Amino acid sequence: MDELLQYTVTGLTVGMVYALIALGFVLIWKSSGVANLALGQLVLLFSWFTYGMLEQRGLSVWLALILVILFALALGWVIERFILRPLIAQPILSLITITLGVAYLIEGVVTFIWPKSVAGMPHIFPQNTVHIGSAVVSMEYLLAAAISLVLFILLSLYFKYSRMGIAMRATADDQLAVQACGIPVTKIFSRSWMFACVLAAVGGVLMSSIGGISYGLVETGLKSFSVVILGGLDSFLGAIIAGPIIGLAENIGGGFLTPHMWAGIKDIIPFVIIVIVMLIKPYGLFGEERIERI
Amino acid sequence: MNLPAGVRNYTYASDMAIFRTKTHWAMLLLLFVLLFTAPLYFGNHWLSVANLIGITIIAAIGLNILTGYCGQLSIGHAGFIAVGAYTSAVLTNRFELPFLVGLISAGLLAGLVGMIFGIPSVRVKGFYLAISTIAAQLIIIWVIEHWTSVTGGFDGIRVPPAEIFGIEFVSQGSQFYLIVVILIMVVFFATNLARTRTGRAFVAIRDNDLAAEVMGINLFRYKLLAFFIGCFLAGIAGSLLAHWTGFMSAENFHISDSILYIGMIIIGGLGKSVGPIFGVLFIRLLQQGITYIAPSLESTFNLTAGFTTGLGPIILGLVIILFLIIEPRGLAHRWQLFKASYRLWPFSY
Repeated sequence: MDELLQYTVTGLTVGMVYALIALGFVLIWKSSGVANLALGQLVLLFSWFTYGMLEQRGLSVWLALILVILFALALGWVIERFILRPLIAQPILSLITITLGVAYLIEGVVTFIWPKSVAGMPHIFPQNTVHIGSAVVSMEYLLAAAISLVLFILLSLYFKYSRMGIAMRATADDQLAVQACGIPVTKIFSRSWMFACVLAAVGGVLMSSIGGISYGLVETGLKSFSVVILGGLDSFLGAIIAGPIIGLAENIGGGFLTPHMWAGIKDIIPFVIIVIVMLIKPYGLFGEERIERI
Repeated sequence: MNLPAGVRNYTYASDMAIFRTKTHWAMLLLLFVLLFTAPLYFGNHWLSVANLIGITIIAAIGLNILTGYCGQLSIGHAGFIAVGAYTSAVLTNRFELPFLVGLISAGLLAGLVGMIFGIPSVRVKGFYLAISTIAAQLIIIWVIEHWTSVTGGFDGIRVPPAEIFGIEFVSQGSQFYLIVVILIMVVFFATNLARTRTGRAFVAIRDNDLAAEVMGINLFRYKLLAFFIGCFLAGIAGSLLAHWTGFMSAENFHISDSILYIGMIIIGGLGKSVGPIFGVLFIRLLQQGITYIAPSLESTFNLTAGFTTGLGPIILGLVIILFLIIEPRGLAHRWQLFKASYRLWPFSY
């Protein structure tokens, strides 16, 4: 029973971070219809960048975090402006593969600048532990979940009340109508990429401060695809609900199955979920079901 | 534009022929002579490069049928190649079955696994399918890494050299012949597949699946068939790869390899029969150039240790991005333009 509680708390908190990264994906998909498969590599890049700022440059935590956010904004803008914009209105195949090219490029840059494959992130969060019932939870996990939650709320407020946020939702709804209203769609595309990169950066910092920096962060990014698939591609709510579900499935399933199965079952559960969802309910829990009989 | 000046076709058969003129046949003959005498002029190093290129072309042709012709994006091709490689390795190593049995069953099993992961393609397309093939890649590699009793897990598995009717293919030269013969068969098959009913059904599904279904094409059957053929060829390539290297570990089939295969067929030209050949030649020779040049650059300019390993992905990623932006139709299209201007030269107006 103690184990179950422990797994639940860990799963929920990790799931929140997955959901955060997944939100970045949904943002880009909704506004511009681009599937960003470079998500995992972006998470890896931002984690290493944070490491570089904190450990190698020796900056203070706050300054480093601000720099990371600025870098994420800049990178998001650059990717959209110079890589995605020339491909507007191209078939989805090109849009997916070009993000794969970006993924490849980023991976190369990461190995180029930070050749060692594993590093421990300096502690950003306090290390003390908290007791919830019989479960012992590190403060890092709770803070990660809290930060994710705050970002969700901020984002949903932004989409609800800010002019730009409303314009972004409108673009997702009907691109042509938005253009007719005089809203600069390209600006919205670049805005969504910038936001998505910031979300990936925050997710990366949170994940790496919990588990250190390694190539596994790319898999964290890939795992957030399962959140996207389960929640539905075009649903913010779906991502927020599916994130903790994936986290729970991963941790509880992994925790209880490991003695009976091959070790490492934990890492593969999200991908098995992808296949199952794809077979049963391909448009996810909250995704818009396009009635398209093919 | 596709025909040399002064050549006319009088029958349907001659109109559809791939090799139409005497020059074409002479060039084909020359190519065969060059290919089959290649071990005489190439050193061991370049022969091994040629072998790798041959194997990669077979796999890329499979992906081209699946993605280029049928329009089903697969980011798990390295995983399907791994299925073939391990099937062949396990059958020949642990069960001591002959190589040909291993080769064929590698293809069949990879095709079967591909079909299983292709089932979602019946209901979803585009990004959804891409994700489910990524899941396939990760699940396959995970199973290979953890099913230690069969695959050897992280320790890898030894593979005996290929052997057909008592002839052992040990040296790079002899393996070159084995690979080239299979490659020629695969190219012949793929080029002609595109012109059959099946190939045209694939293209119809890629261009507009709804229209294809209205025309009476059974989408379920043809999409799964595309997955089967594409992954069958991946399995064949995997089997050849296993017997060529003699040792398999799951690290050979990373997800970035899957991305590279996509890059290859895009650079070559999607849905063109020569596309994979151009793309693979381009990427593999580029990789050779990088591995040749990077260490010397690193030592000359005192760069960081990551330069050599990082330069490859950086350049390949950039190449994929630039090709998609500047020449999405790939090298095959450039080749077409070159042929056209060559035929009209010097009066190109």
